[in-house]
Amino acid sequence: MAQQANVGELLAMLDSPMLGVRDDVTAVFKENLNSDRGPMLVNTLVDYYLETNSQPALHILTTLQEPHDKHLLDRINEYVGKAATRLSILSLLGHVIRLQPSWKHKLSQAPLLPSLLKCLKMDTDVVVLTTGVLVLITMLPMIPQSGKQHLLDFFDIFGRLSSWCLKKPGHVAEVYLVHLHASVYALFHRLYGMYPCNFVSFLRSHYSMKENLETFEEVVKPMMEHVRIHPELVTGSKDHELDPRRWKRLETHDVVIECAKISLDPTEASYEDGYSVSHQISARFPHRSADVTTSPYVDTQNSYGCATSTPYSTSRLMLLNTPGQLPQTLSSPSTRLITEPPQATLWSPSMVCGMTTPPTSPGNVPPDLSHPYSKVFGTTAGGKGTPLGTPATSPPPAPLCHSDDYVHISLPQATATPPRKEERMDSARPCLHRQHHLLNDRGSEEPPGSKGSVTLSDLPGFLGDLASEEDSIEKDKEEAAISRELSEITTAEAEPVVPRGGFDSPFYRESLPGSQRKTHSAASSAQGASVNPEPLHSSLDKLGPDTPKQAFTPIDLPCGGAEESPAGDRECQTSLETSILTPSPCKIPPSTRVGFGSGQPPPYDHLFEVALPKTAHHFVIGKTEELLKKAKGSTEEDGVPSTSPMEVLDRLIQQGADAHSKELNKLPLPSKSVDWTHFGGSPPSDEIRTLRDQLLLLHNQLLYERFKRQQHALRNRRLLRKVIKAAALEEHNAAMKDQLKLQEKDIQMWKVSLQKEQARYSQLQEQRDTMVTKLHSQIRQLQHDREEFYNQSQELQLSNSESVQQQMEFLNRQLLVLGEVNELYLEQLQNKHSDTTKEVEMMKAAYRKELEKNRSHVLQQTQRLDTSQKRILELESHLAKKDHLLLEQKKYLEDVKLQARGQLQAAESRYEAQKRITQVFELEILDLYGRLEKDGLLKKLEEEKAEAAEAAEERLDCCNDGCSDSMVGHNEEASGHNGETKTPRPSSTRGSSGSRGGGGSSSSSSELSTPEKPPHQRAGPFSSRWETTTGEPSASIPTTVGSLPSSKSFLGMKARELFRNKSESQCDEDGMTSSLSESLKTELSKDLGVEAKTPLNLDGPHPSPPNPDSVGQLHIMDYNETHHEHS
Amino acid sequence: MTDDSQRNFRSVYYEKVGFRGVEEKKSLEILLKDDRLDTEKLCTFSQRFPLPSMYRALVWKVLLGILPPHHESHAKVMMYRKEQYSDVLHALKVVRFVSDATPQAEVCLRMYQLESGKLPRSPSFPLEPEDEVFLAIAKAMEEMVEDSVDCYWITRRFVNQLNTKYRDSLPQLPKAFEQYLNLEDGRLLTHLKMCCAAPKLPYDLWFKRCFAGCLPESSLQRVWDKVVSGSCKILVFVAVEILLTFKIKVMALNSAEKITKFLENIPQDSSDAIVSKAIDLWHKHCGTPVHSS
Repeated sequence: MAQQANVGELLAMLDSPMLGVRDDVTAVFKENLNSDRGPMLVNTLVDYYLETNSQPALHILTTLQEPHDKHLLDRINEYVGKAATRLSILSLLGHVIRLQPSWKHKLSQAPLLPSLLKCLKMDTDVVVLTTGVLVLITMLPMIPQSGKQHLLDFFDIFGRLSSWCLKKPGHVAEVYLVHLHASVYALFHRLYGMYPCNFVSFLRSHYSMKENLETFEEVVKPMMEHVRIHPELVTGSKDHELDPRRWKRLETHDVVIECAKISLDPTEASYEDGYSVSHQISARFPHRSADVTTSPYVDTQNSYGCATSTPYSTSRLMLLNTPGQLPQTLSSPSTRLITEPPQATLWSPSMVCGMTTPPTSPGNVPPDLSHPYSKVFGTTAGGKGTPLGTPATSPPPAPLCHSDDYVHISLPQATATPPRKEERMDSARPCLHRQHHLLNDRGSEEPPGSKGSVTLSDLPGFLGDLASEEDSIEKDKEEAAISRELSEITTAEAEPVVPRGGFDSPFYRESLPGSQRKTHSAASSAQGASVNPEPLHSSLDKLGPDTPKQAFTPIDLPCGGAEESPAGDRECQTSLETSILTPSPCKIPPSTRVGFGSGQPPPYDHLFEVALPKTAHHFVIGKTEELLKKAKGSTEEDGVPSTSPMEVLDRLIQQGADAHSKELNKLPLPSKSVDWTHFGGSPPSDEIRTLRDQLLLLHNQLLYERFKRQQHALRNRRLLRKVIKAAALEEHNAAMKDQLKLQEKDIQMWKVSLQKEQARYSQLQEQRDTMVTKLHSQIRQLQHDREEFYNQSQELQLSNSESVQQQMEFLNRQLLVLGEVNELYLEQLQNKHSDTTKEVEMMKAAYRKELEKNRSHVLQQTQRLDTSQKRILELESHLAKKDHLLLEQKKYLEDVKLQARGQLQAAESRYEAQKRITQVFELEILDLYGRLEKDGLLKKLEEEKAEAAEAAEERLDCCNDGCSDSMVGHNEEASGHNGETKTPRPSSTRGSSGSRGGGGSSSSSSELSTPEKPPHQRAGPFSSRWETTTGEPSASIPTTVGSLPSSKSFLGMKARELFRNKSESQCDEDGMTSSLSESLKTELSKDLGVEAKTPLNLDGPHPSPPNPDSVGQLHIMDYNETHHEHS
Repeated sequence: MTDDSQRNFRSVYYEKVGFRGVEEKKSLEILLKDDRLDTEKLCTFSQRFPLPSMYRALVWKVLLGILPPHHESHAKVMMYRKEQYSDVLHALKVVRFVSDATPQAEVCLRMYQLESGKLPRSPSFPLEPEDEVFLAIAKAMEEMVEDSVDCYWITRRFVNQLNTKYRDSLPQLPKAFEQYLNLEDGRLLTHLKMCCAAPKLPYDLWFKRCFAGCLPESSLQRVWDKVVSGSCKILVFVAVEILLTFKIKVMALNSAEKITKFLENIPQDSSDAIVSKAIDLWHKHCGTPVHSS
């Protein structure tokens, strides 16, 4: 019990306003849960939660770990059975399930599921039904394979609820039906997406019944217009879709996306494949956002004055609003940390998705607060980071909205702080009052002043006004009257009640209808509390600030984007704003929307009459009709088949807000309070309840949408991861390719080098082979040589030993013979001289000695033989050497001879040349002599002219004779003449010129003796030339006597000179002749020398005469001849 | 080749690939290193390969017998030759046949005349045709050999060789020329015959003077390498090649006089190619001379 009490205390502390205490208590609970496995604690917590709607308790429950799940489920099951707690326990279940606990797979086996289904089948409360259906829809993708046994239950529920939508059993409000319709629509999508075949067959069977036909026409058929044909309808079968294997591969979010793919509804559908819709959205967004930002602001401004009425509801409203609003968190007093947001530029997908964000401890609040803010800027700055990838529900509009908000936030921040502080300090009730007053004061001051910048703090007041229109000023009292809820609300609001902005946000509009109803019911307050992202309520922060910013924006967007063209949108908006003046605008839009959707305007007139002030009625009718036409026109233009229930709901919420603001503008402050009292003291409790329930329903819807968004976020993350992985893999691939290329290059290089090495190897091999063969041949050669050598040496040995043996044999034989002879002699001696033993003895001795001697002699002889043999060999080799030497010597001699001959030849040729030179010189000398003498003779010639003439005559005759003779004979004849006439003279001349003549003759003779071979041929023509010249004068002289002979030839010249000399100097012949003979002799000797050569090879007879005599004769003859001719 | 071991084994491939004369200088040096020079080998070598110009004079002198095959006696013999040269020159100067102004070729001619005893009485006597031949050869030789002594001796021996060794074969060359020209280009020969230019071709210039004065000395010496080493047939191929080279021009000319005139004054620029081709032609028709050793 002590423990029980302890638990009770702790529970009480759980909701303490002190942050620290709360954290501590939470920690204690968690510890206990970890250690304690019993159901007690969980049960207590559930009870406590149901009782107080405590946020920390909810947080603890939603984060329960495995062993406690059973207790929790059991407890919930227990409470589901009870009608009173059904709604709140269902919402608890919704919270738990949406967080997707690790034990979610156990849900299908838990008894909770059948009881839930049973409840859905049986219950008649629309709110419960809607909540339950949403929980079921959320649960379905988590337990897809377990649907088999409950499939028919699901279908039954669908059938039942769809018929509800039309039949409206009992007192169900139209407004609820919108919500129910939306959730049935969602269920339809889920069932059709997950089990198409079964579902279609169910539809076929169910709606073939007549009573259901209407429901089909009105409800189901329009729904079917929003789905495409499921591929499973073609390829799958009933059994196949229930096959667990089909579901094993799919995670929860996969299933959700699968279902979304089937949808044609832009709010539902998933467009993973293309971005067409999201583009549309972003394109249309600006208009919408413009609407959003402008209209509410102006309204708020004007309606501020009314804010006095419901501080309570205002704060309550704010609680609802806060989660979605960035500005709210920023402007909240507790977030003086507003300076911090910039720090939060670190934006991560996980934060956006709100997936892995751990339950934040109080200390962590600021970062959490900054999330939305940072997120906003992250997306605006980073652009398409999230929006592009996210499905239709993606929040492209959010950034703009928020950024716009942010501009306006700065103001409220300042103004908002004071009340906030006050509230904090005070207890619940007074605080509310005070705040109310404060706001009121401030509101009265501000409105006229700042028109452009609407303070967000005005918002609560404005909202409160909206609510007060319906509820009158006595809200406070009512609230007090509603005992339980009130206390809950106050506790819940104690902390967060802060006027907050964010009017322009979609969430604002969505929550607006709810707020108008005021928060009366416990359920709604619980809902509000749970959604409240109050910074101090760390447990819900996760849900709060994260979710709304994404979850709510899309709802606006598609309805603005998909249904109406930008222009039309604006028009429609304005028209709606102006037209819907009713205090409960929430009713009108749904009905109109439904009308749009089904194509037939619903009869909402009576509703107006009941709920709305009459003054507004006419106006509303006119305007809505206008709107209807326009909307219809626009829908037709856009070609959208029909409006989906979701859109209807969205439109309802949005337009409700717009209508409210418009309406509030028009109502003067004082009149408002008056009106309310006038219209009926207190607002109909039924209406209040309706509104509250509607708020609850909306919250449920919101939570469901949030869940869907989470699933999308999950999927986004996975896709992102895949994208990153793919990019990494691609990069890796590229790197690998590069590496491959490099390696290929390497391989190429190695190949080339391998080839080179191979080539070199083969070359080396070849070289080695050649070397080996060479060596082999050498070895063979050596072996051969060795064998030869061996043979020779053996031969040599053999021959040597043979000769020695022979000698030995010979000597042995000799010895033998001698021995025999000796014996013979001995015998003879013995026979003959037996008596002469002495002599014999002597002889024997002598013989022995002789034998000895002989032996030694033989030995000596053999030795000598040896030596002599050696000597012979030696000598023989010597001889060979000598022979060789001789041969060489001979060769050398030959060589030397040759050399000498060469030199000799050179010398001879030189000598020959010398001889020629001498000849030339001699000729020259002769020539010169001739000239000299000619000069001397010329003088004498003149003196003895007469004599010369005579002599010439004589000479002529002789010459004629001589000429007739042959050339050969000429000389002889001449000699004959000479011999006769002048014998003494030649001798004298000879004697005188002996020495010279001798020299000449000797030279000539020497020439004769050594017949020169080479010059002979050359001499031939020369000599012949000479002969002709010699012949010529003799032939020509007779005819040309006295005239100078031609100087053609040497002899001719000589002859001429001689002739002249002789003819002209007769008197001193002696002196003359001596000189002449001298010259002649030399000349002739020379001539002869020349002649001697010529005849030798040319004419044989010629050479014979030349001898000393003939020379002399010739001399004489020549002289004589000339002389003779002269004389 | 006894010295094959000393030769680069690649030399065979050099020739195959077309690098001529890479190893020839070396092998010639090897040949010249022998004491007692083998004239046979030298002959074969100079017939097969062009002689390097630095060894040309030496090889010619050896082949023409100016120098004996023994290295030892080279100096002495050369001294003799020089003395002889100077003596003869001196003598000619004394008899005033030559002076310092006399061109080298004429000096050679006079010396030759003197040594062969054919010196005319006066330098002004008209020259015999054979003297003209000598003069032309001497003039060409003068360009090829720097030393005047060598020049004289080589000219003398060269002419001597023409007069002795080739005395019988030189008159046969025109016939051989026609034969080979017919083989190489029959149309050209018929053209020549049509123009009656065949017998009027400058055979004297070609075969008696061995192209002296017809080809520039730089190319001529390659022809004379072959002549000196014992083949006068190369002259025929040079003549054939000249005709082949200038075939177009010769074909364009119609009269024998013009053709003769053109052939006596052929352009000098392509002479190197002519000689190279002629040698190839010669090798083609007569085969590459093989070492007889």
